[in-house]
Amino acid sequence: MAHLLTPGPTALAQHMIRMRLAVMRNSLRGDQATNLYTGVSLGLILAFGTIAVAVLWPAYLPITLAVWLSGWIFGPIFIGGGNEALRPEYFSMLPARPGRIAPALLAGAFAGPAPAVNLLALLSLPVYGWRFGPAGVLIGLAAALTTLVTMVMISRVIVALIGLFVRSRATAAAVGIVTGTAIALCSNGWAPVAAMGATDTAAWSEILVRVLPSGWGVAAIEASWPLALAILAANAGVIVLLLAAWAGLLARRVVSAARGGVPPRRGTPRPFPGAGGARIAAARELRAWWRDLVRIQLLATAFSYAIVTPLLLLALDIWVMVPFTGLIAIVMAAASSANLYGADGTALWLTLMIPGAERADVRGRQRAWLLVVGPAAVILSLIGTLVSGQTWAWPWVLGLLPALLGGGAGIIVLLAVTSLVPGTDPHKRGGNPLSTGADESAETSLAWLVLLAVPATALPAAGAILLHPWAGIATGVLTGALCAWGFGRIAYRRLENHGIDLLNLMKHGPAPQPDKPTTADLPIPHRIGVTISYLIAWLPLFPQGVVPMVMKIIGIDDRGWFLALHLPPVWQWPTVIFMIALGLLMYGYAILLPMRLNSPSSAETR
Amino acid sequence: MPESTIPLSGRTIHHPLPPRDSQGMPTHREPALRTIGLRKAFGDHKAVDDIHLTVPAGSFYGLVGPNGAGKTTTLAMAVGLLRPDAGSAEIFGVDVWRDTVRAKGLIGVLPDGNAMPERLTGREVLTYLGLLRGMPPAVVAERTDELLQVLELDSAERTLVIEYSTGMRKKIGLAVALLHAPRLLVLDEPFEAVDPVSAATIKTILRRFAANGGSVIISSHVMALVEQLCDHVGVISDGRVVAAGPLADVRGAGTLEDAFVGLVGARTGGTEGLAWLTS
Repeated sequence: MAHLLTPGPTALAQHMIRMRLAVMRNSLRGDQATNLYTGVSLGLILAFGTIAVAVLWPAYLPITLAVWLSGWIFGPIFIGGGNEALRPEYFSMLPARPGRIAPALLAGAFAGPAPAVNLLALLSLPVYGWRFGPAGVLIGLAAALTTLVTMVMISRVIVALIGLFVRSRATAAAVGIVTGTAIALCSNGWAPVAAMGATDTAAWSEILVRVLPSGWGVAAIEASWPLALAILAANAGVIVLLLAAWAGLLARRVVSAARGGVPPRRGTPRPFPGAGGARIAAARELRAWWRDLVRIQLLATAFSYAIVTPLLLLALDIWVMVPFTGLIAIVMAAASSANLYGADGTALWLTLMIPGAERADVRGRQRAWLLVVGPAAVILSLIGTLVSGQTWAWPWVLGLLPALLGGGAGIIVLLAVTSLVPGTDPHKRGGNPLSTGADESAETSLAWLVLLAVPATALPAAGAILLHPWAGIATGVLTGALCAWGFGRIAYRRLENHGIDLLNLMKHGPAPQPDKPTTADLPIPHRIGVTISYLIAWLPLFPQGVVPMVMKIIGIDDRGWFLALHLPPVWQWPTVIFMIALGLLMYGYAILLPMRLNSPSSAETR
Repeated sequence: MPESTIPLSGRTIHHPLPPRDSQGMPTHREPALRTIGLRKAFGDHKAVDDIHLTVPAGSFYGLVGPNGAGKTTTLAMAVGLLRPDAGSAEIFGVDVWRDTVRAKGLIGVLPDGNAMPERLTGREVLTYLGLLRGMPPAVVAERTDELLQVLELDSAERTLVIEYSTGMRKKIGLAVALLHAPRLLVLDEPFEAVDPVSAATIKTILRRFAANGGSVIISSHVMALVEQLCDHVGVISDGRVVAAGPLADVRGAGTLEDAFVGLVGARTGGTEGLAWLTS
């Protein structure tokens, strides 16, 4: 007798939660465990920070909660679709309506570390409510729950929307532009805020952060009893609407075929050039840039960040950044192209089976990257410098442009073969067209590595410009060419000798190698320390160290958010040096500690 | 070098320079493929444990074994896609791990489950790979046309490989393996998930290839298919060769399937339990 009944809603939800926890338990091995512990530690710090804000600076609580909301909105976009441990596709054959499955899936989605951490952060609401008496605490508690559900739901709906509607180049680019703008706002959003603060719009922004879903709790606490209940009831209504929307989107997603993000409606493809070697590899790579929605989205992110960042600073009438738009675009584009081989997956076997094709493949990828990024970066640089009228910037732009282009073309292939992050093979990717299936935190640290390494390749050119403005151009062209040639050479040599190891890394995952330092072997406190160092060491080193140093040297009088420049002159240089030292120390710790702890003597205990 | 670490257990294995023809290429007297003591462990699991195989030149060789026996791992090590822990492989006398470039020039490979250049169409994949091999553009264009036509992929002119069905992926993989006219084809599960019509096409192509002096190795766990196509068989179980030689010798009087079940010591299950299934 066939069993036709599915369990009731509560039982279904319980099963989902158990399943989600089982998935989490099974994935708590090696690097993933490190990432989880690190993420949870960072999250806990931020959560307690939020509660501290509620106690010490209550006026800033709404905007702090808005930051949490933006994390739920943009997190899934940054990391390519969010971590769907329980994918709706798994349950598509259950005999139940989507309206039944969606709440259960949602319950499963809550059984993870991120919602728990966020709930802790939202306990800032009852803490804030304490100022308004016991009723405030009560409303705060209720609001904490509704706000948490709302945030998670918004996140899920956005993931579902992306999964369903990003099927064309235009939508992929749109997601990229939104993402790039969001990153720019996160790093330089203070500029327009500061500009508006000057014209007394503080009241307006206070209303804004309460109108956002993250601010409803604060609004309810501050309101009278009836109004507070009305706000909470409205919030519950919004949750029901979001749930309905999500269930609808899930139902459509499960029955719509999506394969790895291929843009629709192609004409007959242009024939390949009748050439061999690097040219033919570049031709293939150019087609991949044009036909892969992930790549299109990443490029759009890079360029929109580069364009929006200087525009934000224009709100304060700061034109310094405008000439460097193209240069920022190069560095960002390099950062988003760092996992070139990982993104193609096991297709590498073909290159390895063709005698001598490794060199052509690396050189072709370099050429294609230069063709994709170069012209746009050059145009942005020229226009930016012309429009801004910053004539002093010409030697910097013209010197750093070739240096960064060459450096980027070299670094990306070098890192692509030395620090490959394995993902899911393109043809096996699931419902989200913007997800490569790679370990997101590993991909992110790879991107950070590029953000450090590519500017570093331009340091000789920068030094030459300081000595003599026009010597920089020659140096830039020279180091750019050297980097592209030299790093590319190292890359294809490595591909020739270790290509099979890369292939098997993508096929079977990392092989245990006792002599190779990996973070996974460290004791957990050190693992967390190392990962946090990797994540934030750039902060003291670059924006708080190197950048104010350069600004002091060239005499730019703009304090921005550079701590050193806000201090009395006597303390400025010590602060800059301290920040650089701190950043270097953190990188040193993060890089050297795993090597030391994984020396052969300790490796034997594995 | 891993080769020097193999205990050869009393046997002497000679490595004379392979005989060459006028162009310096090894002649057919060398076996198409010889593996000597291949070993590979993944963690504690010994996937391949001391495999010695000899595939005579001009033979159609079937490598059979149950799921997880080590067929794919063996073939990957034999063609240079997976570094063995120990042992070596030679293709027409050319050591795969010492003279990789020359060995790879001699073989066409269809590995199981590997990705392709996903964002190219079938024609683009063949064109690209042919040109990357340094073949003249005219030759590449001509062979691409023929291969697409024979494998019935020419109608999917605008379809990217990522959108191909499983059977189409096998066929474009086979086209890639054939494109440079190799002397040895190594095909891992070439008929898995392929429809009967396409399978018939592939069989015909492979038979023609073998009839014209080419050597073929296929892995499969479909015994009837191996019996139908192959003249030599190797049976692998738990990472070891349990039988190898001409088909007639291996299967003896019965069918290959009977011999296989006997060799790998399997017990056919499926008769007990499941009473509730009969409603």
